[in-house]
Parts: sequence; C-alpha cells; structure tokens
Amino acid sequence: MAEVTLEKINKQYENGFHAVRDLDLKVADGEFLVLVGPSGCGKTTALRMVAGLEDITSGTLRIADRVVNTLSPKDRDIAMVFQSYALYPHMNVAENIAYGLKIRRMSKEEIRRRVQRAADMLELGPLLDRKPKQLSGGQRQRVAMGRAIVREPQVFLMDEPLSNLDAKLRVQMRAQIAQLQRDLEVTTIYVTHDQVEAMTMGDRVAVMKTGLLQQVGEPQHIYENPDNIFVAGFIGSPPMNMALGVVERAGGGLAVQLGSAKLALAPSANAKHASLASYVGRDVAVGIRSEDMEDSRLVRDAPPDSRLKAAVTITEALGSELVVHFQLDARAVVTEDIRLLEKDSGKADVPHHEAGTRFVASFAPRSQVRPRDEIEVVVDTERMHFFDPGSGSAIRA
Amino acid sequence: MVEPSPAPVHLGSARGGWLRQFGWRHAVGVIALFFALFPIVFVMSAAMNPLGTLSSTELIPTGAGLDNFRKLLRDTNFTTWFGNTLLIGVVAAVVSMFLSACAAYAFSRYRFRGRRMGLMSILLVQMFPQNLAVVALYLMFTRVTDLYPAIGFNTPWALILLYLGAALSVNTWLMKGFFDTIPRELDESAKVDGATHAQIFVGIILPLVAPILAVTGLIGFITAVNEFILASVFLTEPESKTLAVGLYGLVAGERNNNFGVFCAGSLLTAIPTVALFQFLQRYIVGGLTSGAVKG
Repeated sequence: MAEVTLEKINKQYENGFHAVRDLDLKVADGEFLVLVGPSGCGKTTALRMVAGLEDITSGTLRIADRVVNTLSPKDRDIAMVFQSYALYPHMNVAENIAYGLKIRRMSKEEIRRRVQRAADMLELGPLLDRKPKQLSGGQRQRVAMGRAIVREPQVFLMDEPLSNLDAKLRVQMRAQIAQLQRDLEVTTIYVTHDQVEAMTMGDRVAVMKTGLLQQVGEPQHIYENPDNIFVAGFIGSPPMNMALGVVERAGGGLAVQLGSAKLALAPSANAKHASLASYVGRDVAVGIRSEDMEDSRLVRDAPPDSRLKAAVTITEALGSELVVHFQLDARAVVTEDIRLLEKDSGKADVPHHEAGTRFVASFAPRSQVRPRDEIEVVVDTERMHFFDPGSGSAIRA
Repeated sequence: MVEPSPAPVHLGSARGGWLRQFGWRHAVGVIALFFALFPIVFVMSAAMNPLGTLSSTELIPTGAGLDNFRKLLRDTNFTTWFGNTLLIGVVAAVVSMFLSACAAYAFSRYRFRGRRMGLMSILLVQMFPQNLAVVALYLMFTRVTDLYPAIGFNTPWALILLYLGAALSVNTWLMKGFFDTIPRELDESAKVDGATHAQIFVGIILPLVAPILAVTGLIGFITAVNEFILASVFLTEPESKTLAVGLYGLVAGERNNNFGVFCAGSLLTAIPTVALFQFLQRYIVGGLTSGAVKG
C-alpha cells in the first residue's frame, strides 16, 4: 500500500501542446481518487504519467516516498486497467490474468493460487479457459480487473474502465469496482469523464479542465461548494442552472435581480456570501441547483422575493420527480467555461433560438405542471451559488 | 365453416431452393478447379511420356510410366538440387520473415529520427527491379568469393544473403501495415504487466501477426524456389545448383528431348510449395486480433 504524490507535474508535448500544467495532487494510502473532466482536459495524460507510459516534462512523482519519475512501468508496482481492456487475444482468460505473474517468474503454484482467488472474487471461474473474443463486454471488463488485482500492486490506475459498457452494466460494475477497492484497500486513481461515476465511486474527486486542476474534495463537498463556474456546471446532473443577475441591497441584506424577478438572500446566505456585498450594483453569475427549486403551488410558506416567473417548455416525469424545463427572462451566462461545458455535454450541437435562459428544475411528482404553463417557481434562497462572471470563481465569505 | 389456412409466406432467400442458395457456388468451384488443374494435367502427361516430348496427342501417352522419374533421380543431381533449394528457400524465408518483423515492429511502434526517411527510402528502393543490380552484384561477389569463399559463388549462402536483401523492403512494408492494426494498448498493458520490449515482441505481438508472418514466409519461400536469373549467374557447379537452374540445364541444349524428365522434376519441385501452402493455410486467416479491445 502506498500514497501517490504529484508535485508540480507538467506535460508538454514536442509540438508545444501543454496537456497538464502544474498538477499538485496527493492520493492518500488506500484512497479512491477520481480524476474527472471533459475530454482533452489532461486527466488521462496525468494517469499515464503515473503509470510511466508517458514521460513527465517537469515535476516530481512519488509512489510511497520513492521518486519514480524515470522508472519504467514495471518497476513502479502499479497495475492499470485500460479503457479498451487490452486483453491479449491469443491467450485465454487464465493466461491473461497470469501473464504479469509469469513475466515476474512467480512459481506455478503461486500463480495458480492467485489466479484462482482473483477468479473467485470476480466470478470468472467458469470462463477461465475462454478466449477474450468469446466473452461479453462485462466479462472482458472483469478479466481486465482480474489482471490488475492478481498482481497485488501498490496502486491501481483505471482509465475510463466502464465507458465501453452499456448503461445498465455500467451501474452494476460501478458498484462492484467500488466494493472491490474498499475490500482490497489499494490506493486507486480512476479517470472518467462521467461525473456520476465521480460522485458515486470516489472518496475524493479531482476536477480538471484544460490541463489545470480546478478543485479537489469529497464528492458531496464539491457538489455543494463548487469553487468556480466550471466545477459547478460539470458536477451534478442536470448541471447547475446559471443566469446573470444584478446584486442589490434589500432591507438588511442583499438580493439579486434575475430578469424580472427579485430573489432576496436568506439571512444565512447573506453570511455565507459576505463578499457579495462588494458586488452591489454589478453583475454576478447566479447558480441554482435543480433540486433547490419547487413548484410554488406546493410550497406553503415561501418567503417573499423568492419566486421566479417561468414559461414551461418541457416536462419529464421520472416517477420520483418531475423534471421541468422552463424559460426565464434573465440573461444567460456566457463565458469560456460555459462554452466548454456545452461543447462537452453536446448541448452546443442542439440549436435553441429562445431568448433568455433555460433552467431545469426538479419538482415533487405531485406537481401538475404541463408544457406551455406559465408558473411560479420558488427558489431556496439559502442554497444559491454566486460566481464572479469575469474570473468564474465562487463568491463566498 | 373452417377458413382455409393461408399459404406459407417465404421471405427473401428462403424461396430460392438449393441451387440458388448453394448450387452456384459448386459450379464456380468446379470452373476454378478446371482452370487451375488444366496446365498441370499437361505437365503430368508429359512427365509420364517415355518419349520425352511435349507434343503428345494423347492425354495418357502410350507406354506411360515412371521412367522419367527414375531417370531423373538416377542420371541427374536432382536430389542435391532439391536439398539446395530447400535449404535456400527455408533459410531465406525464415530469416527474412524475422528481420522484416523486427524492422516493422520498430517502424510501427517507435518514434525516432529518420523514421519517415527510412520508410520512404525502402519503399523507393524496392521499386527498382532487382535484375538491374545483377552486374553490380556479380562484381561484388567476385571480390567476396576471393576473400570469403564460404559465402561466395557456388554456395547457398551467397544466394540466401541476396534473397534476404531483396525481400526485406516489401515485407517490412507489408508487416508494418499489419502491425499498425494491433492496438498499442496491448503493448502498454504488457509493459505495465512488467514485460520487456523483447517479451512484448515475442510473446504478444508475434502471435498476433501470425497471418502476415505466414504470408511473407510463403512468398519468400516461393520466390527463392523459383528465382532463376541470379541463381543461374551465381551457381555454376552441378552440385551447387538449385532446382530452377538445374532443371533448366536439362532442356537448355538445342537438340535434347529431356522434356519428360524436366516435367517430372517440375512436378516434384511443386511438392514443397504445395505442402507449405497446406500447412500455413490455417494461419493465413485474419481475425486473430478480434476480441482484444471492444467490438
């Protein structure tokens, strides 16, 4: 077992492309760290540098207090699971799992014992003499896992191991990998572009964007306290709603004018976002999570100045909740980050011509909202987020 | 009243019957077989003909027998030629296969200065017909024979050296294309598993490129067995000749009627090639890499 430390790690390719910039990251012993970000953010490059498949341009990489910058992959005591699984097609499952042990000249008896144990753990027993092409996607994925655990390495590195599976299997394997990691207590770095995997699997999540680390922390903490617009928009599904508003003084506290609606901050929010006072009269990006909004007809004692007027465009009844897309007369936030997020989520490919901003809220299922309704939405003003529209950073105390 | 049951519906190809579905394939097969065997029948007929002529009017000549084969084995150096040919063919094929595989692996997997240049120049070099170099090679090997007779004229090693060089460029290109289709993740995965470059090459890559190895090996063998011009320049002693040169000698004179013996020799010469084809057939089937990665 070991901790992995990245200090000011940089990767610059010969063509000048700077894939990873000054990455500082410490993965504790036995921790499950998820590296997440849109495609091209440098997360896979970072992982490959830890694996030793990519040279480190500058910085220091330590595994268990040993500087491993120039060590070859085999001397780093790591195991990696590839996105494509990379099973050796000419070997059967048992040989695939045993390959790393055979290369290390382990005794036949020990190899047999370890392969058997890994096979038991992953329920691969009946498949041991099959070839990879005779396996289903999920089985191949399990063989790839088996190949990693059988070596009993200090660190697991996983590069989007679930992205080739269909949605249902992915949910299942997600739980299985997380469980396996808890049982084995091996330090794990897991790369994914799927924020749901990041939220559900990791002890901690590290969000990256264009080679830069944005925020590291426990999933729930990041979800509730995103450091900037990018993290706010990337973590969470549906992504955080954002619109431009103007900060005003209202009574003893602050309020934001969001299009034609005015939202007064709850007293606790005033304290939480103390530095918002310096933005009075200026624009801020206001972020509201979908679950922090509710159909006004379902809320009895909503405080004054906490309502948005909304024109419903689509509703999606999921049973446990009613997802409502509505149009708001506030200005949309347009920054580099938002563009990047929209590109990554495919939203940029979907044309929309409406003026204003589109919000997504999740209402209780007993809400009777229909498309084309004009409704009022109550916002939980305690749980609003504010960002500087210029720098994108969160405005806090 | 009972409604009459409607006639069963036949969809698409299910209607055609045996001939339409499978029969035509047999017909095509028979035509192809006829086309391929037609010339061989004549060679066989001539090989059986005791008169040693090619202009027999009967398919099975009068007095057909194995006389020509007996004459071939008794009166000529046929067995020596056969041995020489096998030695040259097998060594040239195997060694050039290995050398090309090494070169192709490097060109496919490593990025190094001169990689592009190297690829381009071997492509360029192989565009020139080999026979252009006969004079130059002859002069070179005159010197080599003086200095190192063991690899000079009238030795199989001189020819092996030449054939290695000749096949290298084409084979390297062929193989590089094939190597490029093997996912790099396999190399990387083996690397993380602890394998060295040599272990990856031998243990992971070579088994996966077996089809192309078989093809290049086969081509190399056939080329070496059939090559005539260089062999006839380099091999003049009766004991050192290859089959191509030796058999040609049987019919080279103006007034000889050795065609029966010649045809018998040709038939025997074909045996190793056909046998090799049969043996390698199962490797020359692609799809070995399926299942390595998704899909």
